[in-house]
Amino acid sequence: MASSRRDRQNPRFDQAAEQGNERSGPHLKLGTGRAIAHHGEILQGVFENEDGHLLRGLITLPLAAQQSTATYWPNGPGRIRTRPPGRGKAAKAAALTLKHLGFANIGGDLTIESDIPIGHGYGSSTADVVAAIRAVAAGAGVNLRCSTLSKLAVQAEGASDAIAYGEQMVLFAHRQGDIIEHLGGDYPPLQVVGFRSGGARPIDTLNLPRARYDQQQIAQFKALRGLAFRAVKQQDPRLIGYVATASARIGQHHLAKPDLETILNLAKAFDACGVQVSHSGTLMGVIFDPTEPGVVQRSRLLRDQLERSGYEGVITFFVNVDGVFRQ
Amino acid sequence: MTGKGDVPRSFEAPRIVRLERNLYAACFSLMKLLPARYILDRAQAAGRLLPGGSVVETTSGTFGLALAMTTAVRGFELTLVTANSLIDPPLRRRLEQLGASLHVVEDASGSGAQAERLMLLKKVLERRPETYWPQQYDNPDNRWAYGSFAESVCREIGRVDCLVGCVGSGGSLCGTGGLLREMFAELVILAVDTQNSVLFGHPPGPRLLRGLGNSVLPSNLQHELIDDVHWVGVLPAFAAARQLYRQHAVFMGPTSGAAALVAAWYARRQPDATTLVILPDEGHRYQHTLYNDDWLVGIKGWPVDVPREPVTLSRIEAAGEGDWTRLAWARRALATVTAGSCRS
Ligand SMILES: Cc1ncc(COP(=O)(O)O)c(C=O)c1O
Repeated sequence: MASSRRDRQNPRFDQAAEQGNERSGPHLKLGTGRAIAHHGEILQGVFENEDGHLLRGLITLPLAAQQSTATYWPNGPGRIRTRPPGRGKAAKAAALTLKHLGFANIGGDLTIESDIPIGHGYGSSTADVVAAIRAVAAGAGVNLRCSTLSKLAVQAEGASDAIAYGEQMVLFAHRQGDIIEHLGGDYPPLQVVGFRSGGARPIDTLNLPRARYDQQQIAQFKALRGLAFRAVKQQDPRLIGYVATASARIGQHHLAKPDLETILNLAKAFDACGVQVSHSGTLMGVIFDPTEPGVVQRSRLLRDQLERSGYEGVITFFVNVDGVFRQ
Repeated sequence: MTGKGDVPRSFEAPRIVRLERNLYAACFSLMKLLPARYILDRAQAAGRLLPGGSVVETTSGTFGLALAMTTAVRGFELTLVTANSLIDPPLRRRLEQLGASLHVVEDASGSGAQAERLMLLKKVLERRPETYWPQQYDNPDNRWAYGSFAESVCREIGRVDCLVGCVGSGGSLCGTGGLLREMFAELVILAVDTQNSVLFGHPPGPRLLRGLGNSVLPSNLQHELIDDVHWVGVLPAFAAARQLYRQHAVFMGPTSGAAALVAAWYARRQPDATTLVILPDEGHRYQHTLYNDDWLVGIKGWPVDVPREPVTLSRIEAAGEGDWTRLAWARRALATVTAGSCRS
């Protein structure tokens, strides 16, 4: 049952590997791949899949202004070496991708250039992993579905996020690499003033204890999933704000942001849509509707106030709008 | 869970219809299917209810029917404790055809015999301690069962500004309302009760509008969630149900009539707010009563016109079966409001 479902979602996942076995090394060329960062989550919790089983899942908030770029040079049989050295997860992802594409035991050099800060919840490691997978795929001259990419990413690092899906808003099972629900299309247009909690230290995300949720929270996640779907359908940033705020509040029971209440009050004062957090990091973001009149002014004033209050890494970024990535 | 043993699940989701530009109604065929299935799921998952096990509940109405449907397809034995004043022969036949055993308590005074029913239920539990008692009044799962309903509301409507619903156990209104308010902090919640129900402080007495109201206080009713309470007598409830059918071809039971009456009033007064009303069951069970003119002529006070607005009270005060009264509850605890009412 489980495997047939996998096959349906990823019809080429196993097939490609089989075909690949008949190929050999010489098809590989130099390949480059890119992947974006994220700014934590719009929603994180547990959600029922089609069979009624509860899966941990999330909706990522993409941050396209920061990226990781990976370049892969094939190099005959052997290991994958990374530059900078020690990017073990990216190396593993490259090796898994080579194997998946039928190039068993082929090694190479993997260079990673990234402007994504490490350890605050921007998804730097997933971005490296996804960029590495894309670089290898490009080197092999093949296209990989987002679902295949995500599966490989989870195999490489244990848990992933949904950045492979770009501006498609999906409810993503980050420990399986599966989609729980395609939420129906693109993210609504969003403008986010993001920052890190003052003085916050980087967090080792994989070693955080897993959150336990009670029946009330599980019921709440159902409602939030429904509202996220509606937000995409109506392309309504306000609804995204409600989802993110409620999810951030539930997150307080697990990895508390000491200043969440302060930020919620600020968001209200500046007539923002809501507040999002990274559920396994220190990031917070105030969400605005970029199509509203006066939003440029309001978000700038908020930004000034946050900087004066000592918050670090204050940025303004956009999702699914015409024009700039970042101010 | 899908497949065998889960047919009633396909009936548990309501149809959400738009009655007016700013007024939506969630029309349930049988709302109680939702908590019945959810509570049994949880009991099974916890190992509290084993295959072929037995279930007992005291109920006079739709929760019993929903339990009977769900236990029938899942192969559990069901015992229902009810009173002769509460159960009509067609419902009794339906329950028995689904395999439920009925214990019917004598209730000469017509008050519902809640205490006698509970005593009998306790006896069943003593005799067979492995029997599972869902306890819809106090089991919080009755509220969290409405997560899937809140999800449908969000998917189909999005933001809601006002939620209107009946209160019997409090499960549907406080479950749904609590979940929606977590997202929409300004959500206004209007509770619909009836005359002589203790839920919002009336002294207990005979209740002619059945299905909502209560003679005991369930802990699933969370008074602090409620902005306004409306007490609707049986006559305006019947009239409103018939009007709902005539105007919108929405064929629902009497408690739905009461809720629709309150919701339409709020929606008229607040044209910019999106109002949602929960309508708990369909009209088929009431064809020989509320939808039968020959039966209605026997009801004292019938016919009545559908009232346009309630009488606003300044303190808790019981009224007659022809009345529709309202009190600004302001999210207070029951004790706070009753204390205030005594002083004034
Ligand atoms: C017809 C009808 N309306 C309303 C209600 C009240 O719902 P709740 O128990 O969720 O408060 C019930 C409850 O049994 C009912 O059967």
